[in-house]
Parts: sequence; C-alpha cells; structure tokens
Amino acid sequence: MPAYALGIDIGGTFTDIVVYDQETGRHFNRKVLTTHADPSQGTLAGIRLLIEEDKLRPEHFVRVVHATTLFTNALIERKGAVTGLITTEGFRDTLEIGRERKFDLYDLNIAKPEPLVPRNLRLEVPERLRPDGSVRISLDEAAVAAAADRLVAAGCTSIAVLFLHSYINPAHEDRALEIIAARHPGVALTASHDVAPEIREFERSSTTVCNAYIKPMAGVYLERLATEIARMGIKAPLFLMLSSGGLTNVEEAKRTPVRLLESGPAAGALAGAFFGGMEGENRVLAFDMGGTTAKLAVVDDGEPLVAYAFEAARQRRFIEGSGLPVKISTIELIEIGAGGGSIAAPDEIGLLKVGPRSAGSEPGPAAYGRGGMHFTVTDSDFMLGYLNPGFFAGGTVPVHMDKVEAAATATAKAAALAPVQLGWGVHDIVNENMAGAARVHIAERGRDPRTYTLLPTGGAGPVHAYYVAKKLGIRRIVAPQAAGVASALGLLMAPAKVDRVGSVNARLDELPWAEFEASYARLEGECRAVIAETGLDPRRAEVRRLADLRCVGQAFEVVAVLPPGPYADAKAAAGIHEAFAAAYRTKYTRPPPNVPLEVVNIRVSVSCPVTEKRMALAAGAPPVGGKAQKGTRRMYWLELKDYAETPVWDRYSMRAGDKVNGPAVIEERESTLVVGPGAFAEVSAAGNLVVTLP
Amino acid sequence: MSNKAGTAAPSPAPAATPAFDAVTLEVLWTRLISIVDEAAKALARTAFSTLSNEANDFACVLTDERGFLVAQNTGSIPSFIATLPSTVKHVLAEIPPAEMKQGDIYCTNNPWQGTGHLPDVCVVKPIFHAGRVVGFAASTSHVPDIGGKIRSVEPREVFEEGFHIPIMPIVREGRPDSGFWKLLRTNVRTPEQTVGDIEAQITALNLIEHHTGTLLSDYGLPRLTELSDELSGRCEGAMRAALATIPDGTYSYSMNTDGLSREAPFTLQVKLTKKGGAIHADWSGSSPQQARAINCPYCYTFAMTAYALKCALLPDLPNNEGVFKPITVEAPERSILNPIFPAPVGGRSNTGHYLPVVMFGALVQAIPDKVMAATGSPLWNVTQSGVRPDGRPYANNLFFNGGMGATPVKDGECTTSWPSNISSTPVEVAERISPFYIAYKRLREGSGGDGAHRGGLGQDALLVSESESPIAVVFLAERTRIPPPGMQGGKEGTVGAIVIRGENMDTRFQYVLNKGDTLLVRTPGGAGYGDPARRDAAARARDKEMGYTA
Repeated sequence: MPAYALGIDIGGTFTDIVVYDQETGRHFNRKVLTTHADPSQGTLAGIRLLIEEDKLRPEHFVRVVHATTLFTNALIERKGAVTGLITTEGFRDTLEIGRERKFDLYDLNIAKPEPLVPRNLRLEVPERLRPDGSVRISLDEAAVAAAADRLVAAGCTSIAVLFLHSYINPAHEDRALEIIAARHPGVALTASHDVAPEIREFERSSTTVCNAYIKPMAGVYLERLATEIARMGIKAPLFLMLSSGGLTNVEEAKRTPVRLLESGPAAGALAGAFFGGMEGENRVLAFDMGGTTAKLAVVDDGEPLVAYAFEAARQRRFIEGSGLPVKISTIELIEIGAGGGSIAAPDEIGLLKVGPRSAGSEPGPAAYGRGGMHFTVTDSDFMLGYLNPGFFAGGTVPVHMDKVEAAATATAKAAALAPVQLGWGVHDIVNENMAGAARVHIAERGRDPRTYTLLPTGGAGPVHAYYVAKKLGIRRIVAPQAAGVASALGLLMAPAKVDRVGSVNARLDELPWAEFEASYARLEGECRAVIAETGLDPRRAEVRRLADLRCVGQAFEVVAVLPPGPYADAKAAAGIHEAFAAAYRTKYTRPPPNVPLEVVNIRVSVSCPVTEKRMALAAGAPPVGGKAQKGTRRMYWLELKDYAETPVWDRYSMRAGDKVNGPAVIEERESTLVVGPGAFAEVSAAGNLVVTLP
Repeated sequence: MSNKAGTAAPSPAPAATPAFDAVTLEVLWTRLISIVDEAAKALARTAFSTLSNEANDFACVLTDERGFLVAQNTGSIPSFIATLPSTVKHVLAEIPPAEMKQGDIYCTNNPWQGTGHLPDVCVVKPIFHAGRVVGFAASTSHVPDIGGKIRSVEPREVFEEGFHIPIMPIVREGRPDSGFWKLLRTNVRTPEQTVGDIEAQITALNLIEHHTGTLLSDYGLPRLTELSDELSGRCEGAMRAALATIPDGTYSYSMNTDGLSREAPFTLQVKLTKKGGAIHADWSGSSPQQARAINCPYCYTFAMTAYALKCALLPDLPNNEGVFKPITVEAPERSILNPIFPAPVGGRSNTGHYLPVVMFGALVQAIPDKVMAATGSPLWNVTQSGVRPDGRPYANNLFFNGGMGATPVKDGECTTSWPSNISSTPVEVAERISPFYIAYKRLREGSGGDGAHRGGLGQDALLVSESESPIAVVFLAERTRIPPPGMQGGKEGTVGAIVIRGENMDTRFQYVLNKGDTLLVRTPGGAGYGDPARRDAAARARDKEMGYTA
C-alpha cells in the first residue's frame, strides 16, 4: 500500500506541491501560481488537481508538511495586524531606540526600519524584576487591564507583552496575559518569554512584536488550510516546517508563527543536505539560484548550520543590519542579489556591475521578449550557448535571440566592451559575486570552501555551478533531479526534526541536577510526541541535547552539543564543560578562559528518518530512453577562450552509470547543467548527476 | 594625503587599458574586497574583545607596494579612512623593502602614525610574490586595554595614556619577538584579551597575504601596482567629477564646541577651497593644542574631513586610494586638529567627531541638498570603576548616543551613533555587569531641533547606584553647553546633560556615587533642516500624536 507524503511549498511566484511515496520513492509534483489574496485557495486547488490527475487515494496520505513565505511577505509588505505592546514602565521606546547603530556608514539619509508597533500603541505598566529574577516592583494588575483596554479601543487585534528580565522569570508576563485574555478573549496574545526567552531586551522585543504582528493572520490561514485538507479525506495531520528545519503542529505554529519565517529556504537547505547525503557527502554548499536572488547554505556533518538569530524584512535587501532582528533558531543562509534576472550595467567608474537590480520575471530578461531592454544574466547564458533557445523551461517559453543581441550591443557599448567580452564577463562577474559571498560566509565559520561539495538547485543554479565551483576550488558538484522542486522535496525526504528550548540561567557548578535532568526529559518527551504525530516511529528517533553556555561575566553564549543523558549528578558537569570548550574552540579558535560556566538555555533536538531505506528518488515516469546526446551547440569556454561546438545531452535519456566528458551541457526541463572542459559528469546510482572537476 | 597644502594634479581621464577592461577590473576588485572582508570576518571571529566582534572597531586593508590603498573591508568605521595606508607609508619610510623578510610583521600604535590614539594597535605585513614585496596586508584594532589612565580627558601627556609601541617588528620571518610580547603583557590590564586581539589581527593579515598571492598567480599578475593604479585612477576620476559639480569658490564655517570649561569653548573652523576637480580643507583658526586628552592628531582630522566629503559626494563607492586623492587637508601644527608629540590624544574622537558637522556647515553653502544638519554626537561614554563585594576592582563602559541631524529629505534618525558606529549596551546586560539599576531609558521628547525636517531625538537614561561601596564615574560627553546648530533655517537640537542627584554637573570632572544616588544621562537631540514653517502639517501632527515633540 502506498504511503504518500504531501509537501506544499508556497513561494512568492509559485506554489510547489509534491507527493512522495515513502514506500517506493516515486514522486509527483505540480507547480501552480501562488494566489496572493488567499494562498490556501491555490494550494487546495493544486492538491485536488494532483489527486485527481494522478489518481491518488486521500486515505493513502500519511504525512502533510507545509512551508510558506506568507508570513515573511506580511512583514515585508507591512500587512500584519494592528498590534499593541505592553511593557515595563520606562521602556516603551526600546523598540525604537534599538541598538543605536547604522547599517550604512555613508548614507546621510539612512532610515532604520520603522517599528511594527508605533509609539502611541506602546504602553507602560509598573512592574520590575531584578536580573536574578526576583521582584523589585510587583505587577500593577489594574494598569495591565487599563492598558489592554486602551489598546483594544485603539483597534489592536494583537497584543505583545514584554517585561524586562522575563527570560529568567516569566511570572509577570504570564499574569499579564491571563488578565488580558480574561478581558479580551478574541485578541491574539504573545509573551516575550514564550517566543524568545533570551537576554537583550531590544532583540527580544523585536521578535515578540514580529510574532504578534503575524499571529492573527497565521491563525486564520493555518486553521482554514488544516480544515480543508481534512475535508478532502486526508487523515494525516498538517505539519509546518520551521525556520530551523524542524517540524511543528498547527497549534504551535499558530502560537508562535515567527518561528516559520524562513521555512521555505530551510526546506531548500534540507534538500541540499539530503541529496548531498545520497552521494556520501556530508559537507555541502547548497546553492539555490533563481530569478532574482541566490541563496547559499552550509551543510556540515550532513546537517545545515543553524543560527540563533536572523533579520526579517530588510530595509535594504542585501545589507546586514537593515532588518528587524528575530531571535529564533533558523537554518543559516545568505542571500545575494544574483539571479537570472540580474541586470548588467557599468557603474560610476565604468566597472561592469551585475545586480542586485533585477528585471525579475516581469518584464524579465531581454530574451523573454516581454519588453525587458536590459542585458541580464539569463541573456548572457543564452549568448554563451549554455541555454537552449528552443528548450527554455522545457520549450514552454519562447526565446528572442534578436532581443538578446540588441540588449548586448547596447550594454557592451556603454561598458566599452566587445560583445563576446560582455557575454562571458556577465557570467564571470555574477559567479564572482556569489563565490565572494560564499568565501566570506564560510570564513566566518572558520571553514575552507575547498572541502565542500556544491549542490546547485533552482533554474540558474546548475548553469552557474561549474564556474562558481572553480572559483571556490571546489572539486565536486552534485546536481539532483528536478532542481525546480527540490526544495519542496526537502520537506518530505529530510529527517523529521523537532526542537525544544527551555530557559535555565544557573551556574553549572550550582545546578540542581534532578531538576535539570527532569527538564531535559520533559523536552525530550514533548519532541517524541510530535514525531509520533507526524506519522513516524519515535523509536527510530535520535535525541540530541544541547545547551547555550557562557563563561560567567561574558555577554555572549555558545551553543554546544552535550553528551547524551541522563545527567544524574555533578559527574555530568565535566562532560558539559568539555563540550563547551570544544564548541568555544571551534568558534573562537582558542580555548575558553578558565572561569565557571553558566547554563543559559537548554535545547533538545530529536530527529527521525522518514524511512530506513536509503532509496533512490524514482522519477514520476520511467526514463524515456533513446539517444542521450541531443546534438551540439556553439558554446563559449573560458579554458579555450573561444566558442566551440559542444555536445548537448538529454538528462531524461541518461541512466545510472552514464558518463559525459566536458565540455558539455545536460538539459532538463527546469535547468541545464554546465560541465566545463576537462571535467566529467556521471549519473549516480541514486539518480544524481555528479560532476568531478579537473 | 599630505600634511601640507598640496596642489591638486590635473584630472586624469580614466582610460581603459587593454589589460584591465570593465569586466576584469570588476572581477578583480570584487575578489580583493572579498579578501579583506573575509579577513575582517576572521578577525571578528577570533578576537577576544567585544570591541572587535560587536562594535566593529577595527579595519583590514590591502595596499600595493607603495602603501596605496587597494581595498578596505566593507564595515570598517570612518575613523580608519586612509589611516592604514598612511601607517604603511610610515613603515616604508623606516624599513626599506630590501630589509623586509617574508613572514615579518611590523606593529605600531603611535597616534601620529596610526589612527590617532594608543588603543588602536596597527599591524602591517609585507606580501611577497616571486621573491619581492608586492603589497601590504594591514589591520588596526581597538584593543580592550593598552595600560595608562582609563578613558578620560585627564592625561596631560601621551605618556600617561598607555603602552606606546614605535614602528617595530613583532614577528620576524614567522617567529614572534618574545621580548615585545612580554613587555606588552606586562604593561596592560588585560594581557590575555589584548594579546588575543592582536593575534586575531595577525590571523587576518596571513589570510590577506595568502589570498592575494593566489589571486596574482591566478591572473598572471606580477604585482598589484598596475591594477592599483587603474582602480585608483578611475575612483579619483569619479571623485573629481563629483567635486566638479560644486561651484568653484571658497566656503568657510566656524563652530564652537563645549571646550574644557564654559568660559573657554573650542573653536573648529574650516575654509574649503574648491577648484575644478579638487578640494582643499584648511582648518586654520581652530583652537590651539590642549594639555588635556582631547587633541585630534592630523590622521584623524584627515579621516573625518574626507568622511564628510565621501558621504556628500560619493557614498556608494568602496574606499580606495583614488577616492581621497583629490582631497587635501591642512591643519596648523600645535592646533587641536594637528597636535604634536607628546600631546595627549586619548579622547581624540570627542573633537574629531565634530569635524564632519563643521564640513557640512561649509558645504551647505554650495550643495545644500547633499548634507545633513548637526548631530547630537559625539558618542557618549560613561565609565564606572569601583570595588566588587569580593574586593576585586572592576571598570565598565556604557555607551549612549544622541539623535542624528535632519537632512533636506528626511527627519534625523533618533539615538543613532554618528559618525562612529558603536552600539549601546542592552539594559538587561548593563544591569548584570554594572552595579546600576536602570529605571528608564527612553526617547527624550522634544529634543530634536524643529525644521522642515526635524532632528532625531536623544535619550534619557536614569541610572541608580545599588553598590554598597562608592562608584567613581567619568564621562566622555559633548554638546552639554553648545547645542548642535540648525541648518538652512532649521532649529538647533537640545543640549545634553549629566544630572547627578538631581543636579546638572560639569562633565569634565570625576564624581563619586553612593548607594541610592541617581545619575541621569540626557543625550543631545539632532538639529533641524530648513524653515520650520515649511514642515509638512501631517508630519507635525504625527510628531504630536506620537509624542516626539512636546
């Protein structure tokens, strides 16, 4: 009997719907346009279509996993709820004062992001905790009630509550929520300790307010989606992908939707880790290049790196520090303004720049013939022969080479270049932009890019992977099938992961061990329960304990993976200390100072493989067969410094073990893999194309 | 960069040589900038102190064999404009390239050859390629402690300000000079952190050296000179073209600042002479050198002068030798903007941070749409020291910022570090590391200068001592007597104040706080731009509704 997993990935333009049979490895997919007014409509229509056309039985669905950029877009477009904030007396401006830094040093007209809650909706109440959590000023409950009434009267449908030092003692926030809930049961409530139980009031405020801002819409949307899916006869419950790559159920997602902000990109990174893992690679640079941006995620030991903070809705999209800080665990990735639509033009000193300005999908590159006049990365890929004008997007998009030439001529003239210099130049510059960003990002982690395997996805990823890899000194590229929906597949094939965090704030040498162990055990129990709900066997789950630790007196924490429990007594302290020292050395390249440690937070991460079988990803339809080499085309190669007649291969006709020597390109509907001179590509047993560079 | 008035060379037309077309140059420069950015990330990651890894108080650069700046890391703060290339040139003047060996590292924190004060330690490493020096990797970083008096304006001579390192090798052919490191460790309060930070800088230099060598090999370049000249020439051309848009003429501005006492304010005065594609800033008429640590060495005067011009004219172009070539800066010796050894210079930023404001005061006469009204800077710093309950001494810094000035197109940002970029300490952290209870930290309503565009607000923070033992507090606080002046009819911002036990205090002195004593920090608001009568009615109504104005 089939055991279908259903993946739904809602992006800015398309919603990808993927079904993966956990028994056979078969998969089906549909791309439908995202319906922005109510994204659940497009999604539900897509699922119905897929079930009908592929004759699937709703009762065979065992898992449903969903990722969405919906909430991120609400933050970018400022389309969330009218939100109020109730906070400690004296601190309503925390959100606006911020960290007092600029994200651009030379821009006199710099504008920091407006707070999501304007000053008149930020109210103060008397209460105060000390840094150790003891009460300095008790909570003025009447003031809380009055403030809530005022905010609701002003139209707020969501209220955030943040009190200083609540990360160590949530009592005042809890009580305030009780009071507000009793008076205004319809209002969405968010307490800071529930969303980001961490020291630093600005970052915690920002996170809390982001959550409050999207909470009402998340509630309505998730409820409707879950109900409608159930109505189709699908019994499996709906699960959501978190920014960390973990899973959560609808109830939790409704409570803290801020943890879903990066769910789409997280799925992409998980897909990268999964496909890399199929080829035995545990250090992977996942490289997703689409129409307007490229995203890079580092995978170590088979898992994408996780960061514990990121920025939402950046004022300037690619500038660090220009967004709203959000303290949640999230798969760490960088976004670069480099995509197929990136525009090439000379700058003020006559250097050729590529991006971040983009022609997007409308009007798009000149090649689309939809009025785009600028020469873009996609245009240069046509000019260099890498892309096939007769088979773009599987032949569904007509390509106008005359428009490409016209745009090239104009841009080449402006930049004082010969057209061929321009064509290669654009390819080279956009690759350098991405390689440069990757180098800096990897250096920040203290790693060496040469030890990674590049895993390209997205329409433009496989086209650019070869020369990006060369620039980084990377020797191996793994190109999965179906680069276009790989991210949605990541939702389903990556191990299910559930994370929990709890606040401790105690010195390691003064820990109450029984209580400490009980806290870990409680979090583990919660994680296993969620795993079981997703339709997987929790007995196969792997449990990891982590903790945020710091030296007493230092202001920053290090997240360390601890030895497995249970921790019975102070003997466990040595192991924890050792784990901290190892994590500290990795991060700071030196041993930590010899001072006592503080445990700030504890974390549990439980992951469970989807299936024990390490199976190939079978295609939805059997291989077409026939002649794998389609023909030849003139293509430009840096190594030859010239165009050469180059073989073109059909990926759908290639079988495991087939080898292709570079220079060559291998075409599929969603993308084209470029293999340079001296390299060779081979179809692996798992169905991936593996390129070995010279 | 020259210490004297220089005559500007005629503008060279940027010509593309066959070797460096628009693509090759772009790829190479992107690569070089990513090399110094990568080094900066490595430095921040391996540095011990939060000054490097949170406040970005450091810089990494690559120069060619002449010490001309080729690339500077993206986030480095304005204080370091052109200082490292100048340090490299000083190194070259003392140690001829023929005497340099592969693996050597030279160091200095001389305020006149470095960045203007002792805590900024500069290290320079020659880059060898095919057996000869082809360039330099250099870095400067504000170390957590360099000995001497703790941050205040008290010192009368640089000798009181800490451990002074003349230009000297600290690593020879890869071997650390143990004598130097022993001396350094002995003379600073935080040997582990200070040495750790310098080691982090060395990590960064090694990375720049290695990657630059790889790039030269990859592209078959024998050295950096030609590439440097081409980039520099183009950047210089862009700066000259931008300068050409300013009408030729002389623009002067003078501004008084707090000084050491109410009776004797300082005067900062500039005369800009703009001719064709060149500009000369003459700071003659500024106050004389002081016997307090608020003197601003020439290197810092140049950096702040150039910073203002870059903000106004060419904000988007990465820093490089050519950007600053059309700019000459002159400041009379023994003035507060060009003090001579052994003048004390520790609080140089307290004077230097005013300079871009003075520059805009002159530039507004020529390019009124490209400048900003006066800010509520310089950065405020409250240093406390005392004894913990267990008898160990401690010292802590808390930073506070004022509001930015308004511009021709928008209101000033509230509570934002400018021209520097130093974060404040979160209240929850401050209450853990210092013996203060912070009763409030809020926008200072009504502190922004009125105008067609309003100045940004400063802040009020009330600190209450909870310490059983007395706490000594000293301040770096400016604009407590003379407010940030308005621009084009805009009104001035509100002056700042240090209020102890309810009383306004002179910020140049040290005070002692006992348990329960209050310290109110009130940072200045930014100034307004343009006639208040022209302020948009909706903006004015919103100010009132939000309580930004009284």
